[in-house]
Amino acid sequence: MNVSKSIKGKEIVKDLSLNLAPREIFGFLGPNGAGKTTTIRMIVGLVKPTRGSIHICGYSLADDFIAAMSNVGCIIENPEMYKYLTGMENLLQYANMDARITMQRISEVVDLVGLKHRIDDKVGIYSLGMKQRLGIAQAILAKPKLLILDEPTSGLDPAGISEFRQLMKKLAYEEGMAIFLSSHLLHEAQQMCDKVAIIKQGVIIKICSVTDMTTDNIIEWEVDDPAKAMHYLKTEWNIEAFQRNPKTIQAAIADRPLDEINKGLIRGGIALTFCCLTKHSLEELFLDLTKGDEIV
Amino acid sequence: MIFKKRLLMVIGILVVMISLFAYGQNRIIVRTKEQLIKRIGATETTDWKKLAEQQLIDMKNRLDSHYMDENHKSSLRVRIEQLQYNIDNDINPLDSSLAKFTTRFMEQAIFLFLPLLILILSADLVSGESSSGTIKLLVARSVPRWKILLSKYLCLIMMEMLVLFFALMISIAIAGIFFGFGGWMVPTATGFKVLAGQLDTSEVINVPQWHYALMVYSLAFYVSLIVGSISFMISVIVKTTAASIGIMMSTLIAGSFLSYFLSDWKLTRYMYMVHLRLTDYMSGHFQPIEGMSMAFSVTVLGVWAVCALVISFFYFTRQDILV
Repeated sequence: MNVSKSIKGKEIVKDLSLNLAPREIFGFLGPNGAGKTTTIRMIVGLVKPTRGSIHICGYSLADDFIAAMSNVGCIIENPEMYKYLTGMENLLQYANMDARITMQRISEVVDLVGLKHRIDDKVGIYSLGMKQRLGIAQAILAKPKLLILDEPTSGLDPAGISEFRQLMKKLAYEEGMAIFLSSHLLHEAQQMCDKVAIIKQGVIIKICSVTDMTTDNIIEWEVDDPAKAMHYLKTEWNIEAFQRNPKTIQAAIADRPLDEINKGLIRGGIALTFCCLTKHSLEELFLDLTKGDEIV
Repeated sequence: MIFKKRLLMVIGILVVMISLFAYGQNRIIVRTKEQLIKRIGATETTDWKKLAEQQLIDMKNRLDSHYMDENHKSSLRVRIEQLQYNIDNDINPLDSSLAKFTTRFMEQAIFLFLPLLILILSADLVSGESSSGTIKLLVARSVPRWKILLSKYLCLIMMEMLVLFFALMISIAIAGIFFGFGGWMVPTATGFKVLAGQLDTSEVINVPQWHYALMVYSLAFYVSLIVGSISFMISVIVKTTAASIGIMMSTLIAGSFLSYFLSDWKLTRYMYMVHLRLTDYMSGHFQPIEGMSMAFSVTVLGVWAVCALVISFFYFTRQDILV
């Protein structure tokens, strides 16, 4: 997909491009107001993109809504259900809208999310965590190929979160779903996702696999001319560097040879005063990447 | 289910209102009869014609009163002519029966009470989903949006039918206690026309009361459809139930005083609210304005409903859902 969205003249999402593979858990990270929910609303057809198009399993969302959406299950923000119905009645309501869902599938899903004993209670008396579970149940009823979850673990207790993680892995690796989940809890994404995209003010600033990100060695240089150094890193080594201080830049160099890079920097006439290795967790990186910026 | 509860509430309101109405009607009939009997000086009479003639004389006397304005007088004149017609054609106007009550109840309910009941059921049909957020999961599904809206609208039509059905059944059950269960075959005059303040009886025909009641309830169903459609549109556009009910209630109530400006202010005759008293065209009640006929009212209402539906579907299938 490649989309932009303006709401009331304000560009919320700018030329955002993403690709998801089957059996992949994709984390969509960003601070509040970064455009995560708007992007998700576009993917599930609640909001129409101002520009660009979305394809799900090869079907264009705009031209072939039914075919595209029949491959999608989702929760958007809070899992709002009909409070005056029981959990089961809610599921039946959604099952009625899709001929593929059988009674057997419903009870299978209820078992899967662990709501077996409370499914005949009214949703009005459910806790937030139970509503989340019901939300997930509703999303996976039709065995979608793409599962979209907006802040799925909010309201879950620690045991629930770890259970949820297991469930996601099972759905992705055993049932072959692609899972797209948004979150601002980074360690959660770190534990669950294969790949993450970090979005800030409607722009993706980094997409990489979680293993790359966490084992990536982040190098910090102190130089006299950061702009020149960043230009050199980009053109010579294809390294995306970030300026931290007036004199300091940072970048992940993966397995590129540091000594060669440094030689190049010095040969390029950049005064290198300090160079060190810092190990970053995803959260630190996330904070670094999105630091100091106001919500749009 | 919420709609079961809602329907129960509507049925409750109907029971209370119909009981009150039946009791009131019964009192009025008993008292008019007593008064008329006193006027004639008889102690007991079973001849309704004598009573009706006395009523006619009373009305004519009132017509000479100087304190009555022209508007009232012409409406009284119409009633006198109706009464005269009834006497001439051997139709007892004083007698009340279950059939008559059932009809009269709907004639009174059609312009405000019935629309309000429909409102209870329709105002949050879509806006309720918006305010609770459930609309997101409803729309993000492999079902086109127009189908979702259509199913909601069909559900509304079914509920409208149920409301009318219950109104009929409850009024039969309750009023039957007061008036007995007969009167369905009694002929009733319809087809009156008001032309320049005069009653035109040239096209009057007599139909059995059950036939007349059926026509009244059909018109009531038409009115329900119209009010339902308009309130459906408001419900699609407005995101909260309170706003949706507020808008519909105020327009309905505005209808009752907008009719005052009807003759002076041409625009008001294109408002849907002033056309809801469709049954008055059949019973020959005085219409305050020339040129407003059954056909005109039905057309105005129809146009409103069609526009409301077009807007609802157009808006619902295109809007961005941001709740």
